[in-house]
Amino acid sequence: MIKTRLFLWLLLAPLITLSAQTLAVSTFELPNGLKVILAPSPGMQAAAVCVYHMRGARQEPPDARGIAYLYQYLMFDGNQNLEPFDHVLFINKMGGVVSGRVNYDNAVFYDLLPAQEINVALWLESERLKSLRLNDANIDDQKSQIVSRFGRLLETNPAYRAQTWVSAKVFEGSAYEVPLYGDLNRLRSLSNDRVRDYYQYFQNLGNVLLIISGRFDINELRAGINRFFQDIPPGRRAAAPAFSAQNPRRAHVVKNWLLPGLKKHFVVYGIKAPARIGYNFMYFDFLRTYLTDPRLSRLQTILNTVNKLDVEIESFFSDYMEANCLIIQVSSPRRFNLEKAKYIIDKEFQALASNPIGNNDMKAVRSLMELDFLKGMASLEDRCLRIGEFYHMFNDLNFFDDQLKRLRRIVPYDVMESAKKYLAKPNQVILNVYGE
Amino acid sequence: MSMANNRALLRRGAGCLLGGALLLLAAARIHGAETRLFSFATSKGLAVKVLQDNDLPFLHAELLVYLDGSTQNYQSLAITQLALLDMFDRSLNSPPSNLMDMLQRQGGDFSVEQNPEFVRIRFNFLPDRLGAFSRLLREIFTYQSFHLGKFNLSKEKFWTLFMSGRDWRKEIALMLAYQQLAGNFYFTRGFLLRETLNGINMAQLRSFVLRTFRPDNALLVIKGKLNPYLVLGMIEKDLPPPEPRAAQPRREPVQANPGRKVFILNVDTPDPPTVYWFDVAPPAAADAFLPYAIGNFSLFGFPGGRIYHSQRNRFAMEGYKVDTETIHLRDFTLFCNYVRLNYGDLEDFLMLVDQERKKFTVRPVERKEYLDALNYYVGHALVKTGSPDSDLQSVIDSFHGQVARQEAPRIGPELFQEVSHAKVLQAIDEQMGANHRNNGRERGIVVLVGDADQILNSLKSLKTEALELSLD
Repeated sequence: MIKTRLFLWLLLAPLITLSAQTLAVSTFELPNGLKVILAPSPGMQAAAVCVYHMRGARQEPPDARGIAYLYQYLMFDGNQNLEPFDHVLFINKMGGVVSGRVNYDNAVFYDLLPAQEINVALWLESERLKSLRLNDANIDDQKSQIVSRFGRLLETNPAYRAQTWVSAKVFEGSAYEVPLYGDLNRLRSLSNDRVRDYYQYFQNLGNVLLIISGRFDINELRAGINRFFQDIPPGRRAAAPAFSAQNPRRAHVVKNWLLPGLKKHFVVYGIKAPARIGYNFMYFDFLRTYLTDPRLSRLQTILNTVNKLDVEIESFFSDYMEANCLIIQVSSPRRFNLEKAKYIIDKEFQALASNPIGNNDMKAVRSLMELDFLKGMASLEDRCLRIGEFYHMFNDLNFFDDQLKRLRRIVPYDVMESAKKYLAKPNQVILNVYGE
Repeated sequence: MSMANNRALLRRGAGCLLGGALLLLAAARIHGAETRLFSFATSKGLAVKVLQDNDLPFLHAELLVYLDGSTQNYQSLAITQLALLDMFDRSLNSPPSNLMDMLQRQGGDFSVEQNPEFVRIRFNFLPDRLGAFSRLLREIFTYQSFHLGKFNLSKEKFWTLFMSGRDWRKEIALMLAYQQLAGNFYFTRGFLLRETLNGINMAQLRSFVLRTFRPDNALLVIKGKLNPYLVLGMIEKDLPPPEPRAAQPRREPVQANPGRKVFILNVDTPDPPTVYWFDVAPPAAADAFLPYAIGNFSLFGFPGGRIYHSQRNRFAMEGYKVDTETIHLRDFTLFCNYVRLNYGDLEDFLMLVDQERKKFTVRPVERKEYLDALNYYVGHALVKTGSPDSDLQSVIDSFHGQVARQEAPRIGPELFQEVSHAKVLQAIDEQMGANHRNNGRERGIVVLVGDADQILNSLKSLKTEALELSLD
């Protein structure tokens, strides 16, 4: 039997290739400063056109926080040649998808559409960069929608309120302390001229990447890019934002809230985590996957499977470039179970900081992370986002192999060191929310 | 040594030989940019479809295990769900089962979905786990790790697990549609009571798994940079031969009854009500399916659909968008069109849809509408080529259609090559034409979910069947 297996493996070994691939990426720059990154994928019949702004809420003037988040909605609210949502309708009509978001570090807008229609997306994106509609009526409308949406959320959702508080505490003193939408009162009274003026910095082409991934003919595409983007004015120059890993203040904070009418008690942990630009990030990400990824969740195992506490566990990770926060929320209608869960989590954090993770768990986490990485690279829009982020953070376009190699080289000791550093008490903000 | 043992040894030997031969065949690696489909019927009874896609950097597999005749009442429904929890729920892995360990080692990226007709298990894994995948399949097909403690726990936790993260309103709306369409058949899922759940014992679970989780009652579709013969060799080598079983009664095709019925599902919520509009179409493998889909798109599809452009559309569908979900079953397809509206707009919306459906008989789908719909579907299929499961549904539909012709099923945008304008007109006539209405056969099942009092106040001219359910 052993011989048969050996024989089979000898046969299989050369056939099974590990998935290391090199991403073929080329770049060029237009005279107006727009940098173009092309990542062809000839096997697909779709293409993604992504406009990646290397500016986000982090670079906003302190008295105008929330302005970049406002652009997320204004971007779909029409321009000189298109009415509100025409952009979305154009792409939807051909079976495509439009999406976009503004974050602290960056802003990303993309169109995913059939490959032969790529010029339509180029035209739509160029229209947006060239002549975004920023009149008083649509700015006021978007401001009031944001204010009412988040105002309602803060008022009615105690979990959201608690998470916002914990996040602000974790990021105290850093650029991520203020919510993405800023202060709602200030946003309401923000002058529209300020919104129009700041857009000149936001869309400065020196800080914008045009990333295209999928199937295309390189010559036709270059012609299309030149046609639609070369006349766009470069915008107002601003110093390129420099990166520095921020180290928010370390202090163990524990706070209790008593709220009337709460059906479930809950605790929110905010754990200060390394910046994405830092070398330690991948080790912490490994640890985070091990603890909280629902496909593998160690916390789920120890709390519910082993100790049968029947608690609900939710987790969120900020994924920012200069500092990070892992939020873990555990809730239960029984306060006793919640207290026991907190005790077990505390012990687990200590154990992770003093004992290496077992080999089987290491293999499972590594394989899951590698799979997620490859899945991200297989999806055109995710690929554009990753290319943009890596270029933004490291000025590097050949990250694919490096990332996989680093991931495969992680050993239990790295994870233990990360746990020792980041799961320590001074790195935690804990908010207990109990029903009255 | 007994005759049975001899036979088992022979079967195993033959399996090994066949596996070895296929592995040798696999020595030639196949390259190619386009997705190619290979179909196999293995000696173990498992139908295997391999989609070779050399651009996919990982492997995606779906295993469909059929539930024919096994979910005919509340009890068997609960047995199915408990068995799936026992096998695949991570939080119930105490004591640890070999299956769960293998799933975790495989990467842990799997999901289980139950459909009225089959259980669908999706896996993503790295190419170097291919060898382990066939052993994982064997573990699924030979699963018997039932444990009394875990079984009791699964019953206790059933409700919590069952309720978490599900859109109950939609599920109940779907149940009502199935009930109306297929009557007392296995689509009738009904509502599970705690007493029914408590009455189930472990032997029933064991028997269900033995009866259902068999290679000859399943379909495996696997996609990625694969050598199909290698996959087949592994399956031949690792899968157990199916246990002999009594001949299964032939499954009668379901005749769906799409006659008009309007239900109100009363829920205590401050949210605006949701309208679910269900329409029946032929099964996805039938030639008539795509013309129906195009007809549905011409009515509801955003932004070109007729309801958005109707002259009689008083509220002009401003701010509303109808979403469509297509549910593929073996004997028919269900289009689930749904939209969330204000109470005041409910009746207008329902009247508008009916009026526009009737208008199809005097003003059939125009060439422009047909081209717009086709353009959307082809574009959507092209865009989906970036997703790992893009071609799988057409392969599965084609398998369900028991296509007699030998050619490979069309996948991706090729599906739309044979859909002519004339076929669309014929399909629309069958779906909404005057003949059907004259026979008193107005079609479309409507489920309104929201506060029943407010719904009834806003509906003045529609006859409804009220149904009250608590979702607490």
